Amino acid sequence: MVNRSEFMIEAKDLVYNYPGEEETSFPALSGINLAVRRGEYLALLGPNGSGKTTLMKLFNALLVPSEGEVRVGGISTADEDKTAEVRRYCGMIFQNPDNQLVATTVEEDIAFGLENLALPPAEIQKKVIAVARMLGLEQLLQQPPHMLSGGEKQRVAIAGVLAMQPRCILMDEPTAMLDPAGRHDVIETVRQLNRDQDIAVVHVTHFPEEAVFADRVIILNQGRLVMQGRPQNVLSDIPLLYSLGLQGPAAAELAALLRKDGFNLPPQLIHSRELVHSLCSLEPKS
Amino acid sequence: MFIGTEKLTHIYMPGTPFANQALKEVTFELSRGEFALVIGPSGSGKSTLIQHLNGLLRPSSGKVFFEGRAIGSDKAELLALRKRVGLVFQMPEEQFFSETVYDEIAFAPRNLGFEENIVQTMVEEALDEVGLDTTVLPKRHPFQLSSGQKRLVALASVLSSKPEVFILDEPTAGLDPSGRSNLYGLLKRLNRENGLTVLICTHHLDEAAALTDTVLVLQGGRLVLKGPAEKIFSHREQLYQLGLGLPAVTEIMYGLSEQGMKVRTNIYSLEGARQEINKLKGRCEK
Repeated sequence: MVNRSEFMIEAKDLVYNYPGEEETSFPALSGINLAVRRGEYLALLGPNGSGKTTLMKLFNALLVPSEGEVRVGGISTADEDKTAEVRRYCGMIFQNPDNQLVATTVEEDIAFGLENLALPPAEIQKKVIAVARMLGLEQLLQQPPHMLSGGEKQRVAIAGVLAMQPRCILMDEPTAMLDPAGRHDVIETVRQLNRDQDIAVVHVTHFPEEAVFADRVIILNQGRLVMQGRPQNVLSDIPLLYSLGLQGPAAAELAALLRKDGFNLPPQLIHSRELVHSLCSLEPKS
Repeated sequence: MFIGTEKLTHIYMPGTPFANQALKEVTFELSRGEFALVIGPSGSGKSTLIQHLNGLLRPSSGKVFFEGRAIGSDKAELLALRKRVGLVFQMPEEQFFSETVYDEIAFAPRNLGFEENIVQTMVEEALDEVGLDTTVLPKRHPFQLSSGQKRLVALASVLSSKPEVFILDEPTAGLDPSGRSNLYGLLKRLNRENGLTVLICTHHLDEAAALTDTVLVLQGGRLVLKGPAEKIFSHREQLYQLGLGLPAVTEIMYGLSEQGMKVRTNIYSLEGARQEINKLKGRCEK
């Protein structure tokens, strides 16, 4: 692929209006300047209606900018001839895996994108098996997807995207429909892919606990990028999060309350184990 | 017995190769005014169970009770039952079909044969109950609302027929943190002030746990645990083995306890955790 820049995705002066909604009080997105680096894990937070899903669709060429530009792997998403290339470079996982699984067996489902590339069957099978092994789905290859658990289904959806060897995975609330074990499975799978394969991740979530492991957290509000930074900085800023109708991780929220009570806790505390450790290492008060 | 089941078994597609026993001899009861939670991994039978409680599904064997009487198959009786036992499905706003918020909420009362002037009162009361505006909003198209507002309209459309039992399947899926806390605030008020019996199926315990009196745990169609919330949440190992978890704040308390701090672990809210930790400012035994 022809990508000389270190950026997987670049949005420049991006504005998006939904057709027919040009007159609303604010555009779905405006003034977005953002670059996703190679292998970066980006968590995207924001209240309902803040533009998160719209931004993901712009990154996947499902929408094209009203103004400004989005480049994926160096290719402008407005270039209609290269839409397939953009989507191959940057795959998308949706909220509900049932909307994304199309075939009658797991194997065929993972192979779907590869078959559309008209690769030889032997090569397809090799790739499918390699991906299934990576995600621990080998035993399920002959199963019909609808018989799987929610977490398994979502991992099959990830496998289908992964088979296309993307450099970036976009995930729009990928755990919203899953039980706790399924959530854990999906998050661990994606973190591992990010770490071991250097695949960039853009992860939209309403759960701050899912954002604590990101390299960078971005917050959208009313179509604008209002905050970005390391999770320790963004997710520990409880007053800011509250002002946007958001929450911090339980550890950060509890730490904020305890500081008011005089507990001398370090700032930027977002992980539960950090809070436990900090509380245990406090000197007893006389 | 106010509402409950006795040896309720449900088989989907009985007598076919696809026969699937979704519920196996489930027995439980709730008293009027209880706040109950049904938890369990995906596919454990939660949605099947709640659809029995207002007669949408019929038992393959066993019984469902309401006010001490077994639910029969008489159509008029079932209609009356569905008025008193309101059920909100997952992502209910996906089923909106009316042109205005007013018509959406008026659908059930009109179907039940109420005069239009009474319907209007019912719609306004229902909107008022969920805390939505009763002047401008009823004339708007449901799709013009935010996700949180849509969810509240869906709740209002069930509340309009003044149910005594309010059953919700994953009520906060897809909502942002302020939408979630708003919705749980509403459920708390309906339960504590209006005396509604509330039953929720959810994978997300953070908001629900602190409100709950009774927990039912399903696995593979069987009711494997039932009892007061505090007792069920103390079965931490077993919940983990089932692929379930505990609220994040409860986990922090367990973390502290494991480090030798003398704190209670039956804590499900930030405020509760704050008070408990304040009791032993900075003392750690290990």
